[in-house]
Amino acid sequence: MRKYIFKRLVAAVLTMWVLITVVFFLVRLMPGDPFQNPKMTAEIRANMESYYGFDKPLIVQYGNYMKNLFKGDLGYSMKFTNKTVNGIIAESFPFSADLGIRALVFAVSFGLVLGIISARNRGGKLDFFCVIVAVLGTSIPDFIMGAVLQYGFGIKWGLLPVAQYQGIEYTILPACAIGFYTLASVSRIMRASMLEVASQDYIKTARSKGVSEFRITAKHQIRNAIMPVMTIMGPTVASVLTGTFVIESIFAIPGMGKYYVESVSNNDYSMVLGMTIFYGVFLIFCNLVVDVLYGVADPRVRIGER
Amino acid sequence: MKKRMVAIVMTIAMAASLVAGCGVPKSGNDDGGSGDSGEKVFRYGTRTEPTTLDPTKANCIPDSEIQNGITEGLVRNVGGEVLPGVAKEWEVSEDGLVYTFHLNEDAKWSDGEQIKAQDFVYSWQRLMNPETAAAYAYIGEYIKNGVLVEKGKMDPSELGVAAKDDVTLEVTLEHPTSYFLKMIGVQPQFVPLRQDIVEKYGADFAADSEKNVYSGPFVLTSSKNQKWVFEPNENYWDKDSIKLDRVELSYIQNQETQLAMYENGELDFTELPKVSVEKYKDKAVQYKNGNTDYFYINCDGTNPALKNVNFRLALNYGFDRNTYNQLASEGIGAPSNVFTFRGLKGVDSDDSTYGEESKLESYPLDGDNDKAKEYLAKAEEELGMKASDITVEITTTDNDAAKKQAEVVQELWVKALGINVTINQVTYAEMLQRHRTGEFEIGWGGWVGDYDDPYTYLELFKTDCPYNNSNYSNPKVDELLEASQYETDPKKRQELLVQAEQIVLDEGAVLPQAEREVYYLIDDDVEGLVTYYVGINYDWRYVDIVK
Amino acid sequence: MAELNRESFVIRGKDTVRMESISRPSLSFWQDAWRRLKKNRAAFIGLCVVIFYTIMAVFAPMFSQYSLSDMDVTSRNAFISAEHWLGCDATGRDLWVRIWMGARVSLSIGFIAAIINACVGAVIGGLCGFYGGKLDMIVMRLVDLLYGIPSLIITILVVMVLGKGITPLIVAMCVVGWIGTCRFVRGEVYRIKEQDFVMAAKVLGIPDFKIIIKHIIPNILGMLVTNLCMAIPGAIFQEAFLSYIGLGITPPNCSWGVICKEGITYLRYYPHQVFIPAFFVCTTMLALNLLGNGLRDAVDPRLRGTE
Repeated sequence: MRKYIFKRLVAAVLTMWVLITVVFFLVRLMPGDPFQNPKMTAEIRANMESYYGFDKPLIVQYGNYMKNLFKGDLGYSMKFTNKTVNGIIAESFPFSADLGIRALVFAVSFGLVLGIISARNRGGKLDFFCVIVAVLGTSIPDFIMGAVLQYGFGIKWGLLPVAQYQGIEYTILPACAIGFYTLASVSRIMRASMLEVASQDYIKTARSKGVSEFRITAKHQIRNAIMPVMTIMGPTVASVLTGTFVIESIFAIPGMGKYYVESVSNNDYSMVLGMTIFYGVFLIFCNLVVDVLYGVADPRVRIGER
Repeated sequence: MKKRMVAIVMTIAMAASLVAGCGVPKSGNDDGGSGDSGEKVFRYGTRTEPTTLDPTKANCIPDSEIQNGITEGLVRNVGGEVLPGVAKEWEVSEDGLVYTFHLNEDAKWSDGEQIKAQDFVYSWQRLMNPETAAAYAYIGEYIKNGVLVEKGKMDPSELGVAAKDDVTLEVTLEHPTSYFLKMIGVQPQFVPLRQDIVEKYGADFAADSEKNVYSGPFVLTSSKNQKWVFEPNENYWDKDSIKLDRVELSYIQNQETQLAMYENGELDFTELPKVSVEKYKDKAVQYKNGNTDYFYINCDGTNPALKNVNFRLALNYGFDRNTYNQLASEGIGAPSNVFTFRGLKGVDSDDSTYGEESKLESYPLDGDNDKAKEYLAKAEEELGMKASDITVEITTTDNDAAKKQAEVVQELWVKALGINVTINQVTYAEMLQRHRTGEFEIGWGGWVGDYDDPYTYLELFKTDCPYNNSNYSNPKVDELLEASQYETDPKKRQELLVQAEQIVLDEGAVLPQAEREVYYLIDDDVEGLVTYYVGINYDWRYVDIVK
Repeated sequence: MAELNRESFVIRGKDTVRMESISRPSLSFWQDAWRRLKKNRAAFIGLCVVIFYTIMAVFAPMFSQYSLSDMDVTSRNAFISAEHWLGCDATGRDLWVRIWMGARVSLSIGFIAAIINACVGAVIGGLCGFYGGKLDMIVMRLVDLLYGIPSLIITILVVMVLGKGITPLIVAMCVVGWIGTCRFVRGEVYRIKEQDFVMAAKVLGIPDFKIIIKHIIPNILGMLVTNLCMAIPGAIFQEAFLSYIGLGITPPNCSWGVICKEGITYLRYYPHQVFIPAFFVCTTMLALNLLGNGLRDAVDPRLRGTE
């Protein structure tokens, strides 16, 4: 087990290095530069370039960046000139993470319940209803979902706050909007794996022993069916917790997702890199945790020997 | 079984932490808003996120609006009127080149220290110092030796600004600049800075509200979580004129969201989305923020048709600006056939505007198809091409409004002139790059002035101007614009500028479209909000909440 | 109860012809799958919807008096009417035409991106699974690497670097999109390779190439097609997101994502501008999902022959 985790960590460091290198050079290929001021003279541009060290060869810049990175310093943002990337992440990530956690709790709990109900009623009306919910969840673009939720619950019926983040009630709409997609995919996977499990021998055995249907579902089916759901949790947790650009801008939440997407269109090199690194590390970590949990929980997967 | 136990324990632990959430600080205050607790609070939102709290590096209108509250320059510019600021009085030499400012001894920093002339010298030198790399440094080129310092060819100490003593500041300019006082009253690059504070924090100066001292009527008490909170500055020399107890500015990107928050009473002021103006027609206040929309026509690019004056004029005459305004912006906006913002102050009286006085002859707002055809025929002959063989490409940015704008122009030109029009969408960063390199045929553009004078618009057509995006060159125009820089008589100066603009319009170097109009909603009990059309949009320093 | 005796029965003799015949027609794998798909009503409806949308996308714009870019001041934001079957957008462009022109772009992006992803993934995954060894190791390291990379940022960066338009969009989607298929195909091939019939073929000296064509591909094709069906909505969805952040389709082309985005501003006053395109996005997704589910059941060998 320890050896496995160690191996994964080594691979993770390698992955991160490749990722950083690719993104470092890729951002420089983007047309335009970070100095986005229409009233900029050639002199000022030259001054700004030397301020950020762009006048040095790219490979030197890369070396400097890596050196700072080892010290944990992601540098200053080029758009938000007096803020550090570390500072921006530290300030905005808690909001995204908090919202993401709520969204995940909502999505996973309801997703599992829907999946179970739908599998228990295969072919029935309830099943159909659950499938429709699942498809809607994965087929409505989130900018429409967010705007409609905000308009309906926030403006038209005035039930919930419209935007910003000032308390629990403020998180309900954005969390639902973020979580709906995950809810739908969780319920779909859960349904499929419940049905898969239902045809297994041990369920038949239990049934032939006269165990009640409820006990079969609760004790045998769900526990085993939940495993495949865990496999999608790694990337999902990573992406949900680091924020969603669309939802954050609709609900005016000072989260990370917005910075992440906008830094690319701002050509804010240090922000793009910093955000990618943070996100990449987080994603790898989530995948690792999920895999380890999976290994621990499911005796059929013996990762130690892989 | 042991493994399974571990898994269950871990899962429960994780789930518990999920439900508990992590104690995130709230992004705003919960209190009900203005008046509830007797406090006078003004809350509004910005759609563009401010980029910096360092006045020298201020780079966009939201930056300037924040600085307008927390800093004060030599003079104040309140909606176009120049009032004493840190300087209580000043003299201008006869040739208009030397300004001597006498500072108010009572003017204090928020930590109680006196604001001294040296603080201005430090700030202005810092602005022009190449090592600072201030994006907006060009604005200091008016000061003597500004350009040389900026290029690194001269030491910052040789900049034309000097402290005679603690309360006397002498500024020497490159050329007489009639709008100098108005400009330093509104542009944050000209405010004083405390050397000890700036050097103490280095690159982290003004990174958050504590790492700064304030010279303005307000101090920043928080700048966290995309929300900026201002409270009155106890040491401000004129603090009696400040009525508000607090101002809260939030970054709310989405305009519909802002409106919804206003409707719910969570904001006291909001700009209206264009589509909502109709509904709020009775309540909404109209205001022009000085933004003008147009397309640059690359007069020196790769497309031979666009080098042809007659073809450029055909494009301008064949463009129905009223219809454009209906289609592209819901009829919100003032169709414009001139380049300069017409609301700039005129010279004849206090009320008249440049637009009224200039009397430029230009393309009719409804377009003139006969004239367009006439010019097109001439162009066809000169170019030896048929209209249907001519293709022009509009390069525009990826934002929604810009896309719609380009689509409408395309449609109108195709219908009116029978030419082919394609659209190329690029990012804003790439658009600016293409402006610079001239790699476009017809390019998205827009301009807002930095000072209340036509020159801030017209300099775009000077041959050597770094942002002459139309690549337009006419020695006559250069001459007129250059002369205007040295002319001290306002009336004569205006005539020079009008002549220059007339030539530019006669040669169709640009496709003016519309001046932007904003409709905003403001609570009935809010009084004293000042709007302005250069440098900043909203000046809330003197706002009062009346009950 | 009446007693049965010998006289109650008549000997008819043997029918030597019918005795040896097979009562059910012999069905190939695909015939059987098709038969089962037809029986699955939901999946069949899904298939019909997809075909209907495709046909409409091709032909509907041809028979309309409006074009994609015709603007009209008087019919700005017009609601559904006899002239404009689905209303108009804010510049008075006919939504009926725009929806079907958008369908061309959205559907082709969805299909092309999904097919490329499936093909690339299947070929690479198949080779890795079948041959294993060094190739497998290298590719799997690459896959692990890409798996650890936030796909969103890579997609956005690629679009930014390549410029805008349909082709860069598809390329960007494919940079990381093939990984899922690759992993899945590799696993399947790995499993099938170990099975007895492949072993038998190998022992009989059949060349690798033939084994792949005759045994491996038919066995994974069904799952692959199903996967493909499920991947198309994903691609359409991604295009909508990229359009939202301004990196999608550029004019004069439009897609459902673009129309949704243009309409979302008008949600409060002219909701048809967003709900109509959203309806088409949703129904397409629903149809493809139902079809995918049906296909999965139809090609599942374990369910073969069952009703």
